[in-house]
Amino acid sequence: MHMTMDELTVGQTGAVKAINAPKQLKRRLMDMGFTKGVGVEVVKMAPMGDPMEVTVRGYHLCLRKAEASVIELR
Amino acid sequence: MQTLALIGNPNCGKTTLFNLLTGTSAYVGNWPGVTVEKKEGMTNGHRILDLPGIYSLSPYSPEEKLSRRYILDEQPDLIIDVIDATNLERSLYLTNQLAELGRPLLLVLNMEDLLEKEGITIDAKRLSQMTGAPVVQISASKGTGIEALQAQIEKSLSEKKLPLCPLFSNFVERYISEIIGDDYLHQIPKGRQMRWAAIKLIEADELFLSSMPAPPPAFKTYIEKARKELEAHFEDDPEAIIIDQRYKVAEHIAKDCQIKKKTKKGFEFDSIATHRFAAIPLFLAIMAGVFYLSIGLVGGYTTPLLEELFAFLGEQVHLIADRFGVFPLLSGILADGIIAGVGAVLTFVPQLFVLFLLLSILEDCGYMARIAFIMDRMMRTLGLSGKSIIPLVIGTGCTVPAIMSSRTIEHQKQRELTVIVTPFIPCGAKMPVFALMLTYFFPGKWFIAPMIYLLGIVAVVVTGLLARALDRHKETNAFILELPRYQLPSPRNTWLQTRERTLGFIQKAGTIILLSSVIIYLLSSYSFTLQAVDAEQSMLAMLGKLIAPIFAPLGFGFWQASVALLTGIAAKESIVSTLSVTIGTANLGALFTSDSALSYMTFILLSSPCIAAISAMFKELGSKRKLLYAVLWQTGFAYLAALLVRLIVLLTL
Repeated sequence: MHMTMDELTVGQTGAVKAINAPKQLKRRLMDMGFTKGVGVEVVKMAPMGDPMEVTVRGYHLCLRKAEASVIELR
Repeated sequence: MQTLALIGNPNCGKTTLFNLLTGTSAYVGNWPGVTVEKKEGMTNGHRILDLPGIYSLSPYSPEEKLSRRYILDEQPDLIIDVIDATNLERSLYLTNQLAELGRPLLLVLNMEDLLEKEGITIDAKRLSQMTGAPVVQISASKGTGIEALQAQIEKSLSEKKLPLCPLFSNFVERYISEIIGDDYLHQIPKGRQMRWAAIKLIEADELFLSSMPAPPPAFKTYIEKARKELEAHFEDDPEAIIIDQRYKVAEHIAKDCQIKKKTKKGFEFDSIATHRFAAIPLFLAIMAGVFYLSIGLVGGYTTPLLEELFAFLGEQVHLIADRFGVFPLLSGILADGIIAGVGAVLTFVPQLFVLFLLLSILEDCGYMARIAFIMDRMMRTLGLSGKSIIPLVIGTGCTVPAIMSSRTIEHQKQRELTVIVTPFIPCGAKMPVFALMLTYFFPGKWFIAPMIYLLGIVAVVVTGLLARALDRHKETNAFILELPRYQLPSPRNTWLQTRERTLGFIQKAGTIILLSSVIIYLLSSYSFTLQAVDAEQSMLAMLGKLIAPIFAPLGFGFWQASVALLTGIAAKESIVSTLSVTIGTANLGALFTSDSALSYMTFILLSSPCIAAISAMFKELGSKRKLLYAVLWQTGFAYLAALLVRLIVLLTL
């Protein structure tokens, strides 16, 4: 099984390999900059461990682990 | 007249720029998605539109659809693409899509003042060459570069030059040019670019396809074949391929035009603001601080002073009137109607000014998005989203903008639930009633005021849990939110917003409240046969007595309380002015007791909001049936909660 973004811990980085999500969510995530090969870094977890804060393309974004789990890394 | 359209990513400063260009003061905040509808204004004799912030022109989210439809159907004479210069790459992704729409384009690099701090330099000339669009550097928050922008707008309007379309990889371009060559594309509505249409066909964009006549079978087969070949080549679906291509172009341009130096990170507020343990206590402390400063400190000092002032004014009017033999009805209207009614509301201006000021700073500095981040997990158990916390915080000022700000919540059910629970948070206009009742019945018992807010929160929690329990499809949904950079609120913006909200409050006192105070005074002084009578026999008393029995179980079954509730539908401040006209602020104890005062406050806290907020709710819920359910739920809940509060008080005290 491949690694997905929700499995990263704070400070870890990865590169996007694919997005395995329904059309609408996939488009949304890609529009926000999660395209193939782009680097991501986990900055922080929210107080209750979810959602997570990541940087992508030089800006900060937060998303739930459920959404992060559709982003496959290589 | 020519039309300009302002467009750009959420939170890139469009509205700040819009305010600068038009000299107005539209609502600005520092979280993505403050502008939810398009706003119109005038600048230099041109129409200018502020469109909601978007990341893309996808056919999915309501804001994106609105912006896209606007540009395609209205064909603005110039698209002004506002770019957050510190976020060039992602901004250019949208620019790439705008360039294909066949309208002249002007790029505005905003936040120029922040570039140095972030260690970024941008070659504006090169950017202009690569995009084929003029580039102007400004700082909307500092107000610099605006003259150059205005000059460039005039120039662009007369030149009507189209920008360059981004070029994709050869493999994709081959299909695009073949599709453009087909006769079918000549049927696209005029003014639309063939290249744009070809890309939409490759993407199989639903909105575009439904706007076109059905393609001939041979062409349709060709498109299918092209899509299959692209899929096989890139190992992804065509829509994703196009996004990927666009971002590649954006990366290429950004790499060529900007130099990024690594900057040393100083102390970051986020290390506490979103800290695992400190975050939530900090949020609570900040909110408590906001209320303490406005209501406790400032309100505690100014309210008694102003109350005395208005009481003095009223007495003077009566004294002078007596001396000159003025008809008592006139002096009554002035002293017991207008001064008592409007004065009761104006008393709260200083503390509301401070509340609005502090909320505006909170909204401007970038903290709101962090609250959404830290509270999401907790809000989710209530069937809400982290973004629901933003309306709840804004709702402490005014429910109307709070309800409107719920629009950024992606999921429809969560959005509707947020709209329904937001009015449970007491707005600034409800504050006067609480303050009046608390100082009269519970002087010195400071802990009751926070309990009111707590009760509002309990109502939110109960409604959320109930809605979740009743919801059979427990679907999960997206929560994706950009965390904006912290910034010092611009004094100009803070001042404009605070002034606007405070003036709005004063304006209501001078119009709705004034009018209703006079009407209430007249109705409470005359009977149906137009005889001057005691209040007990007045028209108002007769009307009030019709509904008053409903509230008897709650302990306030007298007509004055019911009438005040009715006037509260127009504006919540009216409750205080009606009470002071019909009972008099000093005589509350003649009718209310401490238990009925508490149940009255509870009912006001939770029952349906004022008419302005109800219409905002209708707009967001979009159906009369849902609105009816919402209002019934709020009012029913208020009734039961008030009953419960009274019972508890009666049993324990």
